[in-house]
Amino acid sequence: MAFKKRMGLGNAIESDLEILPLMNLFVVLIPMLLLSAVFLEISVIRMNLPPEVAAEDAQDNSGAKESLLLAVTIRDDAFVVEGRGIETAVIARETAKADAGGVVPAAEDGAPSAETRLQELLAGIAAAHPENEEAMVIARKQTRYDDIVGVMDAVRDAGMPQISLLGAGN
Amino acid sequence: MRRRRRKQRGAKPTGKLRITSMMDILTVLLLFLLKSFVADGENMTPAPGVELPKSTSTENTESSLVVAISENDLTIGGEPVAQVAQLMQSDRMLIEALAARLDAAWQKREHIAAAKGETVDELGQVTIQGDREIPFEVLQKVMFTCQQSGYGNISLAVIQNS
Repeated sequence: MAFKKRMGLGNAIESDLEILPLMNLFVVLIPMLLLSAVFLEISVIRMNLPPEVAAEDAQDNSGAKESLLLAVTIRDDAFVVEGRGIETAVIARETAKADAGGVVPAAEDGAPSAETRLQELLAGIAAAHPENEEAMVIARKQTRYDDIVGVMDAVRDAGMPQISLLGAGN
Repeated sequence: MRRRRRKQRGAKPTGKLRITSMMDILTVLLLFLLKSFVADGENMTPAPGVELPKSTSTENTESSLVVAISENDLTIGGEPVAQVAQLMQSDRMLIEALAARLDAAWQKREHIAAAKGETVDELGQVTIQGDREIPFEVLQKVMFTCQQSGYGNISLAVIQNS
């Protein structure tokens, strides 16, 4: 009945595209797609741990090659960058970060953040030793995962993609 | 009666919804959404309760076993296996519950490989989705356990910082 009515009406007055059913389809389809859409781009950091057996051999090799043995230690109050033939550098961090509940406070105006200074320092080291591709990131037991990823980023961006993750004593 | 009413209404100019422009918007939106599904790499969703750290890494994800560490629970493939608080208290590096699950998964993998007539010779791959607040201690234990079970190819899931 209703169908007839509409048909008659359309024929008599104007011929318009009947897009209401399509609308209905879209109204359902779009929220569904929006729900399942992934807006966060997730990527990975690849860590290739050597098998247990090969670990000792690897250590011997690194000693023989006279490599840089660059190590970045994450302490609660500072980043410590040390290595063979490199002057040990200590970069003080804002300690307020740890208890800010995940919210990273904005750096004070003027002073570059510890991460930025670490990046600059590492870039300098990488420029001086272009053949070095390895670096160690040493974390303490209580070090936040976020900080570790941040330091690993800094090291990788400086041009040392082979990062080993080490745990310090406490 | 009904017929007459219909005629009357039919004679009047009707007020129709102008939805053509809305259709345009929806069509464009639909295309954009469909396009967002065509992404390279495995589409990975973070486990519930896990806030991944941000990173500048751009490597694509691959499908693999997922071990998620939220602030409270340790889950593998979506099933909880241990409490983070307990892990922090224990002095042992190996997480038995996780190791058992990983070994089971490894055996399944070997089984599948055997059925295909192949052998498993490479390292197992596992993706760790860690909450940004978890201490390194927990991560270290999880990574150690993964490695002990033969999953030496570990990826840390992060959110791409664009």
